[in-house]
Amino acid sequence: MKLDRIIGLSLLLVAGGACTSYSHPEKASTQIAFGTSVAKKGMWREAAFRYQRAIDAEPNNARAHNNLAVALEAGGDFARALAEYKKALELEPNNDYIRRNYTRFAEFYSAYTKTSVKASGGR
Amino acid sequence: MAGNRGATSLRLWAGILLLGFLRASPAGAGVDQVRLRLPLKPKLPLRGNERITLAPFIIVTDPEKPKDKSLQSIDPQAEFHRFLKKQLEKKTKFDVVEAPKDVKLPTQNLVELGKAREFWASVGAQTQGEIVVSGSLEFKVEDRSGYKSEEYQSPVDGRTYYRQIYVEQTGYTFDVVFLVFDGHTGEKLLQDEFKDFRQASSRSRDELQGLFENLFSLENQILNTFVPRDREAERYLFTD
Repeated sequence: MKLDRIIGLSLLLVAGGACTSYSHPEKASTQIAFGTSVAKKGMWREAAFRYQRAIDAEPNNARAHNNLAVALEAGGDFARALAEYKKALELEPNNDYIRRNYTRFAEFYSAYTKTSVKASGGR
Repeated sequence: MAGNRGATSLRLWAGILLLGFLRASPAGAGVDQVRLRLPLKPKLPLRGNERITLAPFIIVTDPEKPKDKSLQSIDPQAEFHRFLKKQLEKKTKFDVVEAPKDVKLPTQNLVELGKAREFWASVGAQTQGEIVVSGSLEFKVEDRSGYKSEEYQSPVDGRTYYRQIYVEQTGYTFDVVFLVFDGHTGEKLLQDEFKDFRQASSRSRDELQGLFENLFSLENQILNTFVPRDREAERYLFTD
């Protein structure tokens, strides 16, 4: 009897948790959670939109800036990604994940930008 | 006894359900590592169907050096031209031609080669090439063997110490500098360098195989000079 009650209560909590996952769209954490879930499916533009909404809600949320940087990077907008990584690191300089992302990105980006194209070759 | 079993089973069920709850709830989230493909724009803004002339490259490898003697049987110029032509024809829509055999570089100095506008314009006119590619090639055996410090834990006192160990590392280095010219004006459009080191087992060392391992590892970067490519990367995403 007691066991039945506990199982019932737990199921209720699970269902409640699932239903309320994205039920507060005004919260930055909700937008980040949704953004990450779509990013993992490869929908990076939607993810970037969600992370931007998170930043609009909480401009000093370092995690949102980090995630937006990753989404921009995935879309090839490296210059904006750099700015977002820098902002994220400025807000949370000791966050190891942000630092690692920034280091990897900086390594890639410096190699990417080192070549200078003097003029347009195509006519 | 039966009561104990019931309590254990109860705790097990509660644990499973709690885990399920944590998975469904954002409160249990943190960080995820994701793989992404970074789209790389071509370094040269081309239309994609230009006629490209492959001109000779300066060969930096000195076959008289004792360690490079094993490379005497390899013609890096011919191998690189063949590789580049094949890759460009396979993966792009460019019309690729090789400069005639009688085209000789006016200098063996890379800086001066980059400034030889008249020469490159004449190569472009002769071959009808809108773009002319040249540069320098260096392929050499590289011995990177030496002492390296290694961390180890002493079985006696359990403390961590550093020790010097000799690491044998021999391989092939391929270094290519690309010079890309406008075939009409002879103006240098781009200069870029690609370098790769591949370790080789001394017992089964084959120079030609080493060269192609270098080339294939640089393939993506080299092609990215002319056409869009992508590159895999890993990043961390916060989940809440």
